[in-house]
Amino acid sequence: MTTATATTSPTVKATISKYLPWAIALAVMFAILFAMSWDSRQTEAVGAATVRAAAPLLLGALCGLIGERSGIINIGIEGQILLSAYCGFMVSSLSADASLPTVISLILGVVGGVAASALVGFFMAWCAVSLKMDQIIAGTVVNIFALGFTSYAYVQGRTQPRYPNWTVPGLSELPFVGDVLFNHGPLTYLAFFCVVGVHIALFRTTWGLRTRAIGEHPGAADTVGVDVARMRYKNMIIAGAMAGLAGMLLIQSASAFSRNMSNGKGFIALAVMLFGRYRPLGVLGAALLLGFFTALQSQLQFNQAFDIPPQFFGMIPFLLTIAVLAVAGLAARPPAAAGSPYEKE
Amino acid sequence: MLTRSRLLAILVALTLVAAACGSDDGGSAGGNLEKDGDCASEDYYCVGLVTDVGKVDDKSFNQSAWEGLQDSEADYVEFIETQDSKDYANNIQGFLDQGFDAIVTVGFSLGEATGIAAAENPDVDFIGVDQFQGEAIANVAGLIFPENKAGFMAGALAGLMTESNVIGAVLGTDLVPPVVAFKEGYEKGALYTNADATFVSTYHPGGLDVAFGDPDWGATTARQAIGNGADVIFGAGGATGNGALAEVAKDEGVVFCIGVDTDQWETVPEAHPCLITSAMKLIDAGVVDLVAEAKAGSMTSGNFVGDVGLADYHDFEDVIPDDVKDEMEKIIAGVLDDSIDASI
Repeated sequence: MTTATATTSPTVKATISKYLPWAIALAVMFAILFAMSWDSRQTEAVGAATVRAAAPLLLGALCGLIGERSGIINIGIEGQILLSAYCGFMVSSLSADASLPTVISLILGVVGGVAASALVGFFMAWCAVSLKMDQIIAGTVVNIFALGFTSYAYVQGRTQPRYPNWTVPGLSELPFVGDVLFNHGPLTYLAFFCVVGVHIALFRTTWGLRTRAIGEHPGAADTVGVDVARMRYKNMIIAGAMAGLAGMLLIQSASAFSRNMSNGKGFIALAVMLFGRYRPLGVLGAALLLGFFTALQSQLQFNQAFDIPPQFFGMIPFLLTIAVLAVAGLAARPPAAAGSPYEKE
Repeated sequence: MLTRSRLLAILVALTLVAAACGSDDGGSAGGNLEKDGDCASEDYYCVGLVTDVGKVDDKSFNQSAWEGLQDSEADYVEFIETQDSKDYANNIQGFLDQGFDAIVTVGFSLGEATGIAAAENPDVDFIGVDQFQGEAIANVAGLIFPENKAGFMAGALAGLMTESNVIGAVLGTDLVPPVVAFKEGYEKGALYTNADATFVSTYHPGGLDVAFGDPDWGATTARQAIGNGADVIFGAGGATGNGALAEVAKDEGVVFCIGVDTDQWETVPEAHPCLITSAMKLIDAGVVDLVAEAKAGSMTSGNFVGDVGLADYHDFEDVIPDDVKDEMEKIIAGVLDDSIDASI
């Protein structure tokens, strides 16, 4: 958990602000889970739903994070998620029609969905890097296109094979954590591996150092021989793949495509990225917190504990995000070069 | 620079084309009958259908209303899909401008726009699906359903089929009264057949614009309900409910699910492993009846109460014990003739 930041010398204040979202998330979650622990079945159900609801937000936020760390603001995550869900679903569905084995058609679906979203990532890099277009407009174009295209092309009545649940042998037998962490669909595990992977890659590898450099000061990176344009292309494709996985998570969950099924998750992912302060582990905490509130509001309704409108709980994660971002001195600082195309001097 | 701006222009144009495919002034329109007359003329009867924010192939109430309209006596039918709740009035106006004789608006949320359009166009008949009429307007028929009765039947079956005595429901939103009626009826029905039943029911926490289009939430919540011990789950809320059904289906036959609005055996094939029945509103039949009345110039104004019922058991015909089927037959008859009180 201790990572040295490359840009600022770690002061006490910086350390506090770095881990504050995590601290809040964990404190709130434990307090409520503790209060509910008189019924372990409920606690487990909430925990499992938390993990599951967090996963797509996590991947969506990673997509935004990699882009922004490389200097490209991506508000097209929503469109990427929707498009990959559609393409992945269609590939799985068509390959199942061609009587390929279930596993193969599922894998092909994931590949198809991820490829579609990665392609959109490439397109956005082209807009941002080669055309030096306004990145917000590029993202908006992607969102409008994805909704229009998938709504138009979607044919009702198609089905695809269901994703299996993978229970991890041994670990899933553990009390509490077994059901919460080790009884999910394969892509859910992959989402959490991605966070750890991106964290290590971003802070421990040459790729990560260069990525952060082109996001903070592309001129300096260029001076020492980093190909800024090429790197931004590459990173937007990787980021697109992350959003693609998020889309496939929706298919894993719902077993079928439905129109506009991303339902704003791409935008919530942006809030998660901000809440997580552009750090993969921060994003993990923020996504878990949002997932937890989703699960908690369902559980409170299950228990008929309070007569509070469900919409009130739907609002809590956003209030929290605003609150955390508004706390003086804690506003997330985006990478310095995010949003501006790099002009060679 | 010229090339770049040209590329940009092409790009924007492409996007507009793609967007236009999905939306045409706030909705995409379509019809499937040959239009061989003029809607503005008196002897050519045209009926338009405005969907709620949802699609005409939503496998649920929009689709059911559209199917009813296609079966109706109208000479020409056409639909427009609403993309945004701000476009209700515009979409209705689109049909009015073409001289349509009657307009079907689908969904509780269109009630206000329908009332306003009806007041301004006294010559056009309006059929409002799921729109309860507080005060009767001469040219508006509100096609309403006793959802509590349909829910009661579904709940009664759930109460008989549960072993854990924990019964779940994953619902659209409590902002829409029919959804609330389904839930309350469902719980009352379950208690009628199973006094020990407890409930884990939840509404989507979002607003009207998202509550019916979130299958991922529906699925996650259904799993959470199963984690709470539920072994029968009622999914009622468009794509959100369908997500719940698909999730329950992953537990092949261990947990049962119940669909809503139409026979979802036909519309949500993913749910086949768990779908024991659906709580149906016979929207299509109601639309056929009302369009026939409207065409004859004698449309009911105020509320028109349509029929409800339970769908076939399909593959679960052999799973559901005979005594349960007999009991259900009595309950359904009793609920329909009001000898069993399903009121909420």
